[in-house]
Amino acid sequence: MPLQVFFLRRLLLTIPLLIGITLVSFIIANAVPSDPVSANIPQNAFDNEEIIAAFRAKWGLDKPPHEQYLTYLGNLLRGDLGVSIKTSKPVLEDIRQFLPATIELASFGILIGMALGIGTGIIAAVWRNSLADYLTRSNVVIGVSFPIFVLALIGLNLLHVQWGIVAGPGRLDFIMRDPPNVTGLFMVDAALAGQWDKFSNAFSHLILPAFVLGSYVAGIIARITRSSMLEVLGMDYIRTARSHGLHERRVIIHHALSNAMIPIVTVIGLSTANLMTGAVLIESIFAWPGIGRDAFRAATSQDFPAIMGVSILIASIYVLVNFIVDILYYFLDPRIRVA
Amino acid sequence: MRYHLRNHPMVLVGLLVVFGWIVVALLARGLASHDPLAKDVSHRLDKPGENGHNWGADALGRDIQTRVLHGARITIPAGIAVIIFGSIIGVLMGALAGWLGGLWDELLMRITELFMAFPTIILAMAITAALGRDIRNAIIALVIVWWPSYARLIRGIVLEIKHNEYVDAARCAGATGPWILFRTILPNSIAPAIVLMTLDIGNAILTFAGLSFLGLGPPPTSSEWGSMVNAGLDNFSQWWMWLFPGMALASLVMAFNFIGDGIRDIFDPRLRRD
Amino acid sequence: MRKSVLFVLAVAVVLLAGFGAAAQDEKVLVIGHTEQTDFYDPANGFTGTTSLVRRATYDTLVTFPDEDASEILPSIASSWAISDDGLHYTFTLDDSFLFNNGDSVTADDVVFSIQRLKYVNGNPSFLAAGIDSVVANEDGTVTFTLPEVRPTFVTELANTAFSITNADVVRANGGTDGMDAAETDGAADYLNQNSAGTGPYQIDSWAPQDETVLVRNPNYPGEAPYFDRILIVNIPEAATQKAALESGQIDIATDLSPDQMTELEGNPDVNIWRGPGQWNHFLIMNADPEIGGPVSDPRVWLAVRLALDYEGYLQLWPGSVTPGSVMNYFLAGAFQDDRALSRDLDRSKALLAEAGYPDGFDIDLKYPDWNAFGIDMNINAQKVQADLAEAGINVTLAPGEFSIALEEYRLGNAGFGYWLWGPDINDPVDVLAFVPGGKVATERLRFTEERAPAEILELRDAVKKESDPVRRAELFDQIQVWLQESGNFAPFLYPPTQTALRVGINGYNWHPQWVMDVAIISRDEM
Repeated sequence: MPLQVFFLRRLLLTIPLLIGITLVSFIIANAVPSDPVSANIPQNAFDNEEIIAAFRAKWGLDKPPHEQYLTYLGNLLRGDLGVSIKTSKPVLEDIRQFLPATIELASFGILIGMALGIGTGIIAAVWRNSLADYLTRSNVVIGVSFPIFVLALIGLNLLHVQWGIVAGPGRLDFIMRDPPNVTGLFMVDAALAGQWDKFSNAFSHLILPAFVLGSYVAGIIARITRSSMLEVLGMDYIRTARSHGLHERRVIIHHALSNAMIPIVTVIGLSTANLMTGAVLIESIFAWPGIGRDAFRAATSQDFPAIMGVSILIASIYVLVNFIVDILYYFLDPRIRVA
Repeated sequence: MRYHLRNHPMVLVGLLVVFGWIVVALLARGLASHDPLAKDVSHRLDKPGENGHNWGADALGRDIQTRVLHGARITIPAGIAVIIFGSIIGVLMGALAGWLGGLWDELLMRITELFMAFPTIILAMAITAALGRDIRNAIIALVIVWWPSYARLIRGIVLEIKHNEYVDAARCAGATGPWILFRTILPNSIAPAIVLMTLDIGNAILTFAGLSFLGLGPPPTSSEWGSMVNAGLDNFSQWWMWLFPGMALASLVMAFNFIGDGIRDIFDPRLRRD
Repeated sequence: MRKSVLFVLAVAVVLLAGFGAAAQDEKVLVIGHTEQTDFYDPANGFTGTTSLVRRATYDTLVTFPDEDASEILPSIASSWAISDDGLHYTFTLDDSFLFNNGDSVTADDVVFSIQRLKYVNGNPSFLAAGIDSVVANEDGTVTFTLPEVRPTFVTELANTAFSITNADVVRANGGTDGMDAAETDGAADYLNQNSAGTGPYQIDSWAPQDETVLVRNPNYPGEAPYFDRILIVNIPEAATQKAALESGQIDIATDLSPDQMTELEGNPDVNIWRGPGQWNHFLIMNADPEIGGPVSDPRVWLAVRLALDYEGYLQLWPGSVTPGSVMNYFLAGAFQDDRALSRDLDRSKALLAEAGYPDGFDIDLKYPDWNAFGIDMNINAQKVQADLAEAGINVTLAPGEFSIALEEYRLGNAGFGYWLWGPDINDPVDVLAFVPGGKVATERLRFTEERAPAEILELRDAVKKESDPVRRAELFDQIQVWLQESGNFAPFLYPPTQTALRVGINGYNWHPQWVMDVAIISRDEM
């Protein structure tokens, strides 16, 4: 199958998926048993039929569900996700506000996870069946098993409350004002503005939640690194490289690791959904103003435009990542090209 | 099998710990020193060791150790329920998709993919928020997000064995579609499904506890571990309120994952130790 | 790989070493607070944080002393006169007040602000519903006309919802005081991000659920407040608030639990301000048999009150008192704990038997899953469950998300529930909300006038018109006795207000109307 055909076919498949995502979000958001009207208008307006009717008309609540859905879909295509009932701001604007915090946390978490995971994974694979391998494998299980909300609480209690090594919840000390917004990532923005006090403060706030998130990712990455390194190390060309007298470190880093990276990157990409689970818990504990905390707020306050907006965003990211991974595989796995 | 177990000492440790927790869950009433709901406000927030509270007391003066032991009665069955109901739905969906093929397969698999695209906790959060806070709803929410991985697995297996000789033989002998599906294909799918369940149960327990921690699981009186950790947040300095249930949860999930890790190793020869 | 790990560690060490070097020349007060803001627009907002910010950014015609609500003091109105029939109030304005853009306050501004509040149909608009008209007179005074005699009227005007806004500025930003303001007024967005008032501060910015920033009003004619900038930071998690206070990131923590306060007692960097609380915690029982079931019976109401272990709640929340009645503790004439009920399980069981429930009954307790200013309602609900079990009532806890539970309660659909109340008006008449015909008793719990005995309705009507203070106090005494015997509420806890402050913060005072006045707070110079 030529690339163009594969690409188009895969692209076409994502369309029903994306429509399905909006449909599922819509059904869940509307399964909320209580009436959003009374939860969201002032009490003294309950008797005012006009205000209630205006509210219903504004949110399309006076129309049958399928029409509401079509209205929503139409607005979505124009890039309009509606207005959050609770914050009374466009959902898209809220997402734009909260997303950078999560990106900063998640990317730092992934970096820490990769540093820990790839390192230990290689050690485990190279010295297979050694004590190091054994310890690594146990640590991997511990890493993926330890409830991150408990790890977060232990870390917060020891590192912040007891020892004062890292800063506490939030992205910056409360007294500091946000650095000038360029990327929305505080460390980057602070560096761009040359505000090094904010840079170090943001780092001090970020390091603990990112480490907790990273510990979970590290386990998954270490596991896949070990197995794909083992597979690669057993292959002919590595034996050839070794027999040609190449230095062992060179063999491992240049030949084996570079080939083993493909499944590692795939796993990182596919664990975005898992990362979001972690983000919801960590963001609530660390008062991190990100998309996970916003999703929790939206879900518990029945703010249906926000629930839908956030679900659609995250599911779409997942679909996009999957799409990219599939395209990557096209280049990596010759069997697809033949099929 | 014996050979494998000897090479996987952590599997044995995991089995022991899981067995231990199951015994605790069954005998909680006899093992615990107190009544899990008995409140004694004059001994509230007792430190571990004070007044016969080995692991301290909570904000209402209830014995933490007793509540943690009783918590096993909620957390373990909840995790198992999620896995069992999730796998039943998943196996049926996967078997149907694989067996019917064509458009049905395409449709069922797109639905499966759809549910996989949602991050577990956000979907579960929205569902529990809609249905209301209680254990049953939390389990329903998790089942809704749990079945797709089983559906995918079983579909693959069904596709593989659909054209096996014994299926062909059964067909030649005049067996009808449903008969073949239930008599030959499903039994062959059970073993891999059980392997996946073993790998998965730790994660199911963890996610269930995460939902409770967010206040979306059992009611506040419950001694479910995640909700105990949540209750401890109001008394963050009284570390025993959240650390003991948290460690109980960690030990159980770890034990399940050590078993799962060993089983993965045993079933995945590529990773087997020489 | 090892090299890069080392590098990350090295960077971390360098960064942590540099951490904390930032210097602040500005005088900044940081308040850690669980934000409850619906709107900062005076005509639309009616929540805790709103009052705090309005106190700092606006003034009202009359006001209370800094410490409490014990008397009425002049503010924008320098004096006032009441007509002989008690229906007309004429206020003379103090011309020294200036808005934050330099304009002086005129009678037009007052009329505009009151009418906008009345017609915009915002959350506090009900406060102005009982005003027939407000007119600017030629001599610069303002006259209010009421439909009936209401001795509490001037007290009501001290509510920060009656803040005087700059009419020109609000009009220029889409505001209107016309009768159609509910549909046509568009100034709420502007007034959420800016203020147009006479207070010592003005709003610099508001990021909902994140932070509110106040800066000095450049045209404030009075003595300038100590702080240049006030940050009100939303920290809903009490543990986080405590940690932020301990590390000095915030100066004031408003929402710590009594347990956390106990822990902070030994901290040399922290002072604790203690005073009477604002919130009365009580059980509600719906008078409609279809909704309330067993708890719609007046005998059960008393049985529930007699079944509660009042002492136990005091142990749960150190520093609390048992409310004597559902009238808030700090209001003049409210029953104090010496007149509170005490537990009497035998009588409680007897009453249940008399009502036809010798073996008790099963019921759901509905309440918000909420931490109410440091008091976790889940804890009290579990205690209620245990207390009532001893009387034979089998309670199932049914916590709901705040806004959802509130909706059910407001619509009058909650049968048996647990809620709390802070007064709308800082006057004993506030208790009439709990008397048949009142907001809580009738609208929320269907204890309608038809269901009520004549005696309480007569008492209520008499007290509304009474202006003789002695006779008024007697009537309120009788109303509270009636509520204790026959009301459909079971008040059980009155927690103290406790605020934790960094050492060096002076002038803090919790206030029942505006939480705190940031303009009178200062910090010791090092």
